[in-house]
Amino acid sequence: MASTLVAKATDLGYAYRPSEFAVRHLNLELRRGEVFGLLGRNGAGKTTTVRLLTTLLTPTEGSGELFGRDLRSCGRAERARLGVVLQSESLDFVSVERNLTLYAFLWGVPREVAKARAEEMLALFELEGSRKRKPWALSGGERRRFQVARELMHEMELLFLDEPTVGLDALTRQRILDYLAQRARAGLSIVFTTHILHEADLLCDRIGILQRGRLRALGVPAELKRQYRGARFVEAEFDRAVTPEEDRDLDALLARNAPEALEVTRGGTQLRFRAPNPEGLVAEVALWAAQRGIRLAKIAVREATLEEAFVDLVTDDGESRLGAVEAP
Amino acid sequence: MKLPPVLRLLVRNFESNLDLITLLVMFGQPAFLIVILGTMFNPIVTSSSTSGSYTAFLVPGMIASQMITGAVLSGRIFWLDRRWSMVEQLFSGPFLRAEYLAALLLTTLTFALVGVGILALVALPLVGLPLLSPLELLAVLGTIGLGAIFFAGLLITIGIYIRSANLYFTIQSLLQYFLIFISTVYYPVTSATPVALRAVVYSNPLTYAANAVRSAFQHRFGSDDLVSIGILAGLAAVTFTSAVVSFRRVEFGPVQ
Repeated sequence: MASTLVAKATDLGYAYRPSEFAVRHLNLELRRGEVFGLLGRNGAGKTTTVRLLTTLLTPTEGSGELFGRDLRSCGRAERARLGVVLQSESLDFVSVERNLTLYAFLWGVPREVAKARAEEMLALFELEGSRKRKPWALSGGERRRFQVARELMHEMELLFLDEPTVGLDALTRQRILDYLAQRARAGLSIVFTTHILHEADLLCDRIGILQRGRLRALGVPAELKRQYRGARFVEAEFDRAVTPEEDRDLDALLARNAPEALEVTRGGTQLRFRAPNPEGLVAEVALWAAQRGIRLAKIAVREATLEEAFVDLVTDDGESRLGAVEAP
Repeated sequence: MKLPPVLRLLVRNFESNLDLITLLVMFGQPAFLIVILGTMFNPIVTSSSTSGSYTAFLVPGMIASQMITGAVLSGRIFWLDRRWSMVEQLFSGPFLRAEYLAALLLTTLTFALVGVGILALVALPLVGLPLLSPLELLAVLGTIGLGAIFFAGLLITIGIYIRSANLYFTIQSLLQYFLIFISTVYYPVTSATPVALRAVVYSNPLTYAANAVRSAFQHRFGSDDLVSIGILAGLAAVTFTSAVVSFRRVEFGPVQ
């Protein structure tokens, strides 16, 4: 099992100031070839986690491993197997093209290989037209593409991407995600932080959700979506608006059959609520509508999206409902 | 062939941070001062206080001040590397902090010594240059090297603790002007110099460096100058150690 791990955290923590922990009791295993998504609100501890696992910060508590070696004793050999796209922009004061080859030079990539790879990256990230421009003169989206492109100039086994798709249009984002998925299939392990939950859902094999420095949930996206209160939604649309009397009936029906229903929204022709195992209730609603001569234009049960599960999890009362993920 | 990490960082320091304007300012300004100050002050400064022409007095002082030019470049590279997250980027890659610092140091030394060469070329047609003995040459280069390490260590330490570009560059400029003007780079300290000012001038490491270089140029390098170099070496060790220690706690993340 150990050989399949690229990184591991056991009760890992970091405090920027005494007793002010940015990350605490982090228990995590990153497997070779997997895409791991790290989600959380701003300030949840995602960047600190990346800095800990890339050895930029020394843990103030707990322990961790990178490629089987204790994080505290990792050095050049381990970092040479990493790639890191920082959240902040990093660049040299030369052209985009030269930035790519200069970065490759820093990593010791042979000149001819670097030249060919730079062409490949410029094409892949649609930066060919900007190759002679200075990176700070690029648009926000181009700069982000440039950051990712530059990091891919060297070989690596584990790639950390700290919000790599911020400011990118949907097409470019998709293209980059496809490329990363392809690299992951070829064996590259990826740790990916993002606020765009849809892309985490598409790309990540597993997801960890950080809240206030603690890992509150960990699992494959489908598990996370199901994990919280059943988290299945019923969405119905009637062919006409319900009357106030019908509305009271509907309210009573829901209270009787699904007292645990959440986020109930009714109004006009719409009905939407969330409940565990709502199939029986769907039949009740259909019967209720038929008895009143209301036709159902639509009725559907769907899983929660990752975004809905995430919002549910990181609301202020989240901490009281959920414990931290324990050490494996 | 893969170069050692320090040399790769050195190449990157040169390539990423040098443009024509920077070079002109760094080397053109002292060269300009030698020509203009030398020409303008020569007729009005008495030779008794400068042991010869003022230009001949000024040249070794300006050459000594190249230690600051090199150090300022290092401070600037370090600060911009922080500003543009290259410190964080490089440290998450296959580089050690010691290598990054060593590359900065080599950049400082290279620039200080290139500056010495350029100023010597500028001074040649004005005052000629003395033929230095190997020992005197070693004393000149050693003094400038140690001074460059001292100032680089100082600026890097300051750069680690300051998170605002405006503040850093203001401090750097003030320090640069303060150290150059309150030293013996431009003028000698004589019995007519007010005691308080004399005390400040002699607490400035650049004074010892300028005096040592001047002594070597005037072929009167002696034990006093050796002591000056020793003091400079001690100070260089202190500031560079301070930079190394501070570097271990350099904070990552945005700086303005």
